[in-house]
Amino acid sequence: MKKLSVLAVALLVGAFAGLGQKITWMSTQFVPIAEAEFVRNEILAPFAEATGIEVEFIGAEYAEFVSRVTAEYEAGKGEIAVLCALHGDFVSVLDALADVSGVPVGGTISETLMKLGQMGGKQAYIPLMQATYLMVANKKALEYLPEGADVWALTYDDLLQWAKNIYEATGMQKLGIPAGPKSLLHRFIHGYLYPSFTGYQVLAFDSGAAVKMWEYMKELWQYVNPAAPTWDAMDTPLLSEEVWIAWDHTARVKQALIERPDDFIAIPSPAGPAGRGFITVLAGLGIPATSPDPDAAAKLIEYLTTPEVQVKILQGVGFFPVVAEAAGAVPSGALQILAKGVSAQAASPDAIVSFIPGGISDEYKKIYKDTFFKFVIKGEPVDVEFLRSQATRLRELYLEAGAPYPAPDGS
Amino acid sequence: MSFPQLLRRTLLYMAVLTFALWVLVPIFFIGISSFTPRNEIYLWPKSIIPSHFSLDTMRFFLNSYGVLTSLLNSVWVALLTLAFTLAVGAPAGYAVARFYFRGREGFRLGILITRMFPTALLAVPLAVTFIKWGLYDTLIGVALIHTAMALPFAVIITTGIFMGVPKDLEEAAMTLGCSRFGAFARVALPLALPGLAAAAMFTFVISWNEVFAATILTVHNRTLPAHILTTIQASPLYFRFAGGFFMILPALFFMFLIRRYLFHMWGGATAER
Amino acid sequence: MNTRLRQVLGTDTFLPYWLLLPTLIFIGIFFLMPLFNAVILAFRSDEGVFTLEYFQRMVGDVRFIEALKYTFFLALTIVPIQVITALAMALLVNAGFRGSRFFLYIFALPLGISDLAAGLIWLSIFTQHGFLNSILYSLGIIDKPIYYISYQNIGLTFLAVVAAEHWRATAIVMVILVAGLQMISKDYLEAAEVLGARGWKKIWYVILPLLKPSLQSALIIRTIFALQTFAVVLALAGDIIPVLAGEAYFWHFFYRNSHIASAYAVLLMVISIGMTWFYLKFLKSRMEVIRG
Repeated sequence: MKKLSVLAVALLVGAFAGLGQKITWMSTQFVPIAEAEFVRNEILAPFAEATGIEVEFIGAEYAEFVSRVTAEYEAGKGEIAVLCALHGDFVSVLDALADVSGVPVGGTISETLMKLGQMGGKQAYIPLMQATYLMVANKKALEYLPEGADVWALTYDDLLQWAKNIYEATGMQKLGIPAGPKSLLHRFIHGYLYPSFTGYQVLAFDSGAAVKMWEYMKELWQYVNPAAPTWDAMDTPLLSEEVWIAWDHTARVKQALIERPDDFIAIPSPAGPAGRGFITVLAGLGIPATSPDPDAAAKLIEYLTTPEVQVKILQGVGFFPVVAEAAGAVPSGALQILAKGVSAQAASPDAIVSFIPGGISDEYKKIYKDTFFKFVIKGEPVDVEFLRSQATRLRELYLEAGAPYPAPDGS
Repeated sequence: MSFPQLLRRTLLYMAVLTFALWVLVPIFFIGISSFTPRNEIYLWPKSIIPSHFSLDTMRFFLNSYGVLTSLLNSVWVALLTLAFTLAVGAPAGYAVARFYFRGREGFRLGILITRMFPTALLAVPLAVTFIKWGLYDTLIGVALIHTAMALPFAVIITTGIFMGVPKDLEEAAMTLGCSRFGAFARVALPLALPGLAAAAMFTFVISWNEVFAATILTVHNRTLPAHILTTIQASPLYFRFAGGFFMILPALFFMFLIRRYLFHMWGGATAER
Repeated sequence: MNTRLRQVLGTDTFLPYWLLLPTLIFIGIFFLMPLFNAVILAFRSDEGVFTLEYFQRMVGDVRFIEALKYTFFLALTIVPIQVITALAMALLVNAGFRGSRFFLYIFALPLGISDLAAGLIWLSIFTQHGFLNSILYSLGIIDKPIYYISYQNIGLTFLAVVAAEHWRATAIVMVILVAGLQMISKDYLEAAEVLGARGWKKIWYVILPLLKPSLQSALIIRTIFALQTFAVVLALAGDIIPVLAGEAYFWHFFYRNSHIASAYAVLLMVISIGMTWFYLKFLKSRMEVIRG
């Protein structure tokens, strides 16, 4: 019903005031031609029909985005009415942004996500869509859940016990973590394990909590399928049932859910002593201080955050909704299962959101992966000296690039 | 046939059959996998012969985004490589087969040594050079580095082929008034043609199979192996099997066509003794 | 070459050089230049300072010793097995029975199969729910799947890689040896038989010594390529078994450091040259290799 009322209001407003209005929307997202076409035809055309506001969509690379927005701000006058970009992109143009805290939103956005958009003493952007990494479990695994564990709010200790229960019952190591050469293992380490156990992804690299974390990982690894270092994506082992529980990026487990939607559930990643660490790739909507038409921009933002449009975006480009109502509005099947898991993870009260490091050498991935290789795969004892030297190198990489530590460290 | 002879025969055939099975069974497995219905790929235990054969997997593979384009790219690159390699390598092969000249042995050794270096060593710096020359991410660029990789083989193979064409015939043609080039074009070339065709197919296979350089030197214009390698982590198991099977098909076909000439390439012996 | 021929064909002293020119130019641009650039990349920083930093970082890498170890292990395991298998196949085919040509074609098939495809083929066999486990399970030999590819059992994983590489690259050795066998003059063999050498004796005392040049080229070519093994290892063993060529690939692709990638490539080159030199010195008859 909310959908109808929003549309009705939009229609009314459009009928009275919006006729012939035209605004420009610059975005670092939806840049590939197919995605841009999707946005123009499937998202913006209905908006124009409903409100009479025509939106010109301009895709831009990061550098172009920053220079254009900065230039308009310095000139004190601009053409761009509304912006769409990644969290990190907005950081680079913080001064040029208007406070959007008063802008109406088409659905309910969780406090955790909303707070991420608060920078420089204002609401710099409103979250639009997210991508993340979570866990997928075969329903067969559920009967082995440890007593008292809530599958929607697991801890790392629960996960260990769960995998152990399965191993003791079936004799097989049914937990899967992608640790192949092209896997996203480094994301698991710096965005999930480290924040969950130490609260940081860089600052506590060689702390006592980190030593405990590596000890935990070595123990957990006993119940991880030993072929894990050959897996780049978890959809295949999930489908072949070589594993029953897996962690990976949504895009890399999606195929399993598409093929057998009735057999799997998507659930939030576990929580450690410090909280529930997870990575969000977050894109949002902002309004430049020099926007020629902030009212029309606000209407566009409200429209884009309605559950219907959020679902359309998910189906069109694979980014997940930030609006709680949207998860229920996704048609049944793989995307619905994933959307449910993604929104449950994003809404967890103990969340520690991490961002992906930006602007530094990709070598940081090797630092996390090498440490894992040495302690976990090679099984060497956890060596604080080694952790210390890796930590030094990691900080050097940030220093060399002059890049800030990403959240949770930097915020 | 006496008993010991019979026994020897039987043992011989058994040994040969064992080796043949060893070569064929893995190819059979990937072939079967490519025609297994998609949902049966993940069954445990897998039956060796699926419940029924299906073109479903193959169709899925061929209809997947980028497969047909990369397939065409692969064919183009292989054809270009073949043309470049023969145009550049065959004259050298002819020179080594026909003339004694200063530096001949040095040249032969040198050309072999070029095969000794890792592809990575050539492809990484070439990527930088190709960007400067505007050859990066072009089919010609990939064909050029494939030519560099196939060239040593081409020179060795064509040397063997031209050595197999009797010199006397060319001499005779020249004493009968043909020019140097005329004798080559009218006498040596026609005789060498089947062997050259075999060399061409071998070059085609080298280019068709090459994955490292093709991956490094392209972004959008991928060849089939490069496309498979770069999308492998995000592709389902049956896609990989179909891809593997598709990649070996032309190789099997060309190997069949050139089976008589295999020894030219490696032994320098004359064909079909 | 007789003098008459030299008069007819060799009148133009420059002709052979003209014919070689395209190949030489090509090698200059697409081989010598990148080779030079790679060495530069390995020794010079972006600021233009010559440095050993990249080699130091390569040697200090957590995975370096492992990669070096497995690269050598692989080459030293695969090559001898291949030479023995290929020799058996070549001798069998050369026995000249009915259908030997057909079998020769079958034996040579893997020659046309790329390492990537071979990796995919053997993946379908060795994964936990793959063909091998399925067959063993159906026959009742095992009651649950065996992990062939497992970081907990590196020996078994290593054997899986050896099996795949053995299968893929034995054909080339066999073809070289068959060609070598065909070059052995029938007169030698007849003489040997007259002198009473038969069966194994003939093979050991007559054929093998005559086959030495072919064996030598096969050894050199295979060792060099075995040192570069990478796609099969990557497809089958993922991160369990690091190899030098793989490390170069990762540094270039994932960690975007062409300097260290080049350092690995240069190291591989040095090892290749060293191994070739060793074979040439050890097995003598240098010029024969060239003909290979």
